[in-house]
Amino acid sequence: MFENYLNTALRNLIRHKLFSFINIAGLAVGLAAFIIILLFVRDEFAWDDHWANGENIYRVETTIEFPVREDRPTSSTVDPLKDIFLDTYSEIEDIARYMSFSITLRKDGELYNQPIALAEANFTKFFGQKYIEGDPETALLDLNNVVISERVAKKYFGDETALDQTLSFRIGGEFRPFRVAGVIEDPVVDTHMPVEVILPYNREYLVGSRWFTEDWRFAIWAMYVRVQEGTDVDALQADLPNLVNRHMPKNVGGQETGAERGMRLDLVSIKDIYLYSNTAAGDAQTLYGFVFIAFLILAIAIANFLNLSMARVAYRAREVAMRKVVGATRGQIVRQFLSESIFLAVLALVIALTIVELSLPYYNAFLSVVVDLSLMNEPSLLLLFVVLGIGVGLSAGSAHSLYFSLLKPRDVLYNNSSPNPGGNMLRMGLVVAQFSISVALMTIAFYVNKQTEYASRLDLGFNPENLIVVSGTNNDKSEAFKNRILENPFVLSVGRSSDVPTEGSEDRLQMRPVTGGDLVTLDGLPTGPDFFNAYQIPLLAGRYLTEDEQDTLRKRNSQTGYNQSANIVINAAGARLLGFNDPTSAVGHSASVNLSTDTSFEARIVGVVKDFHFDSLKAVIRPGIYYIDYVRQSDMSVRVDAVNRDAAITAITQAWREIYPDSLLQYRDMANLVERQYQTDTRLGDVLTLFTVLATIISCLGLYGLASFTVERRTKEIGLRKVLGANLKDIVGLLLWQFSKPILIANLIAWPVAYYFVSDWLNGYAYRIDLDAMPFILTGLLALVIGWATVAGHAFLVANIKPSKTLRYE
Amino acid sequence: MLKLHNLSKVYRTDEVETAALNNVNIEIGSGEFVAIMGPSGCGKSTLLNIIGMLDSPSSGDYIFMDENVAGYAESKLSNIRKRNIGFIFQSFNLIDELTVEENIELALLYHNIPTAERRERVAHVMDKVGIAHRAKHMPSQLSGGQQQRVAVARAVVGDQAMILADEPTGNLDSAHGQEVMEMLQALNDDGTTIVMVTHSPAHADYARRTINLFDGQVVTENLREAG
Repeated sequence: MFENYLNTALRNLIRHKLFSFINIAGLAVGLAAFIIILLFVRDEFAWDDHWANGENIYRVETTIEFPVREDRPTSSTVDPLKDIFLDTYSEIEDIARYMSFSITLRKDGELYNQPIALAEANFTKFFGQKYIEGDPETALLDLNNVVISERVAKKYFGDETALDQTLSFRIGGEFRPFRVAGVIEDPVVDTHMPVEVILPYNREYLVGSRWFTEDWRFAIWAMYVRVQEGTDVDALQADLPNLVNRHMPKNVGGQETGAERGMRLDLVSIKDIYLYSNTAAGDAQTLYGFVFIAFLILAIAIANFLNLSMARVAYRAREVAMRKVVGATRGQIVRQFLSESIFLAVLALVIALTIVELSLPYYNAFLSVVVDLSLMNEPSLLLLFVVLGIGVGLSAGSAHSLYFSLLKPRDVLYNNSSPNPGGNMLRMGLVVAQFSISVALMTIAFYVNKQTEYASRLDLGFNPENLIVVSGTNNDKSEAFKNRILENPFVLSVGRSSDVPTEGSEDRLQMRPVTGGDLVTLDGLPTGPDFFNAYQIPLLAGRYLTEDEQDTLRKRNSQTGYNQSANIVINAAGARLLGFNDPTSAVGHSASVNLSTDTSFEARIVGVVKDFHFDSLKAVIRPGIYYIDYVRQSDMSVRVDAVNRDAAITAITQAWREIYPDSLLQYRDMANLVERQYQTDTRLGDVLTLFTVLATIISCLGLYGLASFTVERRTKEIGLRKVLGANLKDIVGLLLWQFSKPILIANLIAWPVAYYFVSDWLNGYAYRIDLDAMPFILTGLLALVIGWATVAGHAFLVANIKPSKTLRYE
Repeated sequence: MLKLHNLSKVYRTDEVETAALNNVNIEIGSGEFVAIMGPSGCGKSTLLNIIGMLDSPSSGDYIFMDENVAGYAESKLSNIRKRNIGFIFQSFNLIDELTVEENIELALLYHNIPTAERRERVAHVMDKVGIAHRAKHMPSQLSGGQQQRVAVARAVVGDQAMILADEPTGNLDSAHGQEVMEMLQALNDDGTTIVMVTHSPAHADYARRTINLFDGQVVTENLREAG
């Protein structure tokens, strides 16, 4: 019996090659897209799933709340919280903390930049990292020890045993030797905490750093708590505001906390950090969107299969009728055709998995991800795919199986006309559904790409090209370094600041508007006198700051701290906030500026610059205030000659080696920093485009198959029309119109859906493109043209057949 | 074998009601060879469909082997049909994707017969109709006459007591038509009941009895003298 089914199925496939190809290819491509999207999404959801006891580990995150402006979320906590947590909550078993840095490592005279974690002694025990060498109990107890990953051991020691060897790290201006006391397994790829070098925490290293506070001012620790099994974490979370209320000092000025600033603490499960934390790198919403698209594509592919199978029933009707005549029951017929479509679906699945396997490297490169598929290692996934194949087969084969089971043999065996089941309504309905999805995806992809392009062309207010940001220059040698590089003709200018654009500012300064009323808050940025020049930020009124005494708020190595008064520059948004009608009228205005609750100075505005982006490019440019503070100049932005960029960088490297022989030059490219801000959206645009193309291809495959079928069925009618005087144009028009209708209806369905999604998505952008009707109409037309191109061949073919032939056909 | 009593068949569409068969009374005995004749549209095929249980009457009785099957559900009819009735069609109705052998085997497929026995019976019947040398061929590689021989083989491979033939020679030239008629004759001689619709008076002569239909009614029945 089965052999007979298989023979008919296989021979039918071979006989109707085009149909079989379209059917299987459509399904295979659909399944491949479905599987790739799901693998990607699964990977994104699987971040940090590997931690032992991970379900009980939470990171404590701090959000600084400001009364007048938006909150500032961080991933860290202030120092006193550890003890307070342990004293307050008995359900907390243990707490681990670390800080991460990139510091200079010396090995055999060579210098390396090495990211490290400065961690408390229980760190590896808390997180359960496996030791390959060394004693987990004692490795981090000795302050002169270091624990490294296998990879790092390999990097610095090759095949030698790393244990008990020495690595030197540059801490506080000098190299200190550390004994390798443990080698741990390499961290997995999908973790927010890829720690590979762990130094025991020693507060001596940090004392004196501006940001190092052991009170409530700066959130300096990444802090993780492990709660007892079965702890009601929601209740714990709910109690945190009370805890902050009880312990946070009132009326204490500080950079991040103080009288007017609140603090919210959140417990974030370690498994949720990647997608849901304050520093989430992934976006769950987008992932759900992808899953939705995956199912849409699968639906299109199934609809295709269903549609084509229904269109082709005429070719199998005689067989079914004969089987019934010789005694096949309905159940047997249903089983035959369902198993046939399951067979095809599984075949398509095998092809799909091959496509996935072959395309994953490209897909990974395309999206900079590391999705992989290893069915052998994951029997559950294999099982899931088998279920998927069967499910797809069942749903794709349901319609024609049902039709065949109800078929009456006498309708087929005695009639010469072929059956036309379900009417054209079902088929056209499916085409409408497919094209609705395609058109909606096309429109959404168009806008996502257009917005990304718009954003990338957005006037940042400064020129990010050929701007090299050198870090680690907040020290006494930096002037010498600056002067040295400026000697090179390809170094055009050097600007200094505590932070650089895209990073956002951490200072919030307050002033009273000229119109009176409450204090307003401006983002402060400590700069050097040369900052605006290097960034090429245009001046709207007045002048830039200079090295003049009056333009300086704080000198380097100043014993007295801030000057009583200083000249400042603000941006146009700042001028507006302070109540000036235009930039010019702001120049010359003097007012008191609060640096914190207990520090202020008398400021005189000497210049107003054009607004420029400093935070996320998605956010509105905020009012800004710029002043010269020689104590806080961590970053040195070097504008280099576009043509001789490499020579300039070589010169900078050379100068660094001379002036800072104990450390390595670390620099970033401002253009990259800017680009990285678009990365998520660019990726979203790329993925959408890819899957839109796939969805459209599958839809077109379906349309093509359907057209070939329709044309076959209508040859006689077309012959008659020709006899009655229709010309080629009339006939082609007739056929094209038949397929235009469902596409036009699809547009009407797709537009509002696309409009809803696109406008919702664009609302997340402060600087965004506007929606207008044209792109909708154009994607509609595009779909129509694609549809026409798909069916035109058939239309011309049949329209050119001589009537004598077509009429004799039946 | 079977008895039709006051049997009518009415086709209804939304507006029109057409009586395809009107109070037909026919009795066909076991081992008979009956020809049904009449002009196009007289109800021949409808009659054959009802006898073959591919269709149900609108009213009246259909007694098949002492059982009134007139109101039976499709599955029940299918079960009776597959054990007792074989079909031969004008257009052969062979399945294009199956070989000669497989087409014949199809008639045994739904009978729960072990594969080995199926093969044996198929081989036997292929010998009988002289198509064994074409066993592995596809229908499209055969002449019309050969195709109809395969169809005959398929109709009899299950040892059916009755064969319904709907213009079995309609698509064949006279020589091949003759051949098929002789095959039917031989089957009848072995005791198989044969009911055949035909337009050809010459082929109707093979039957012992001819029923003439006109406008859905039996107008005459002629018995041919033996010999």
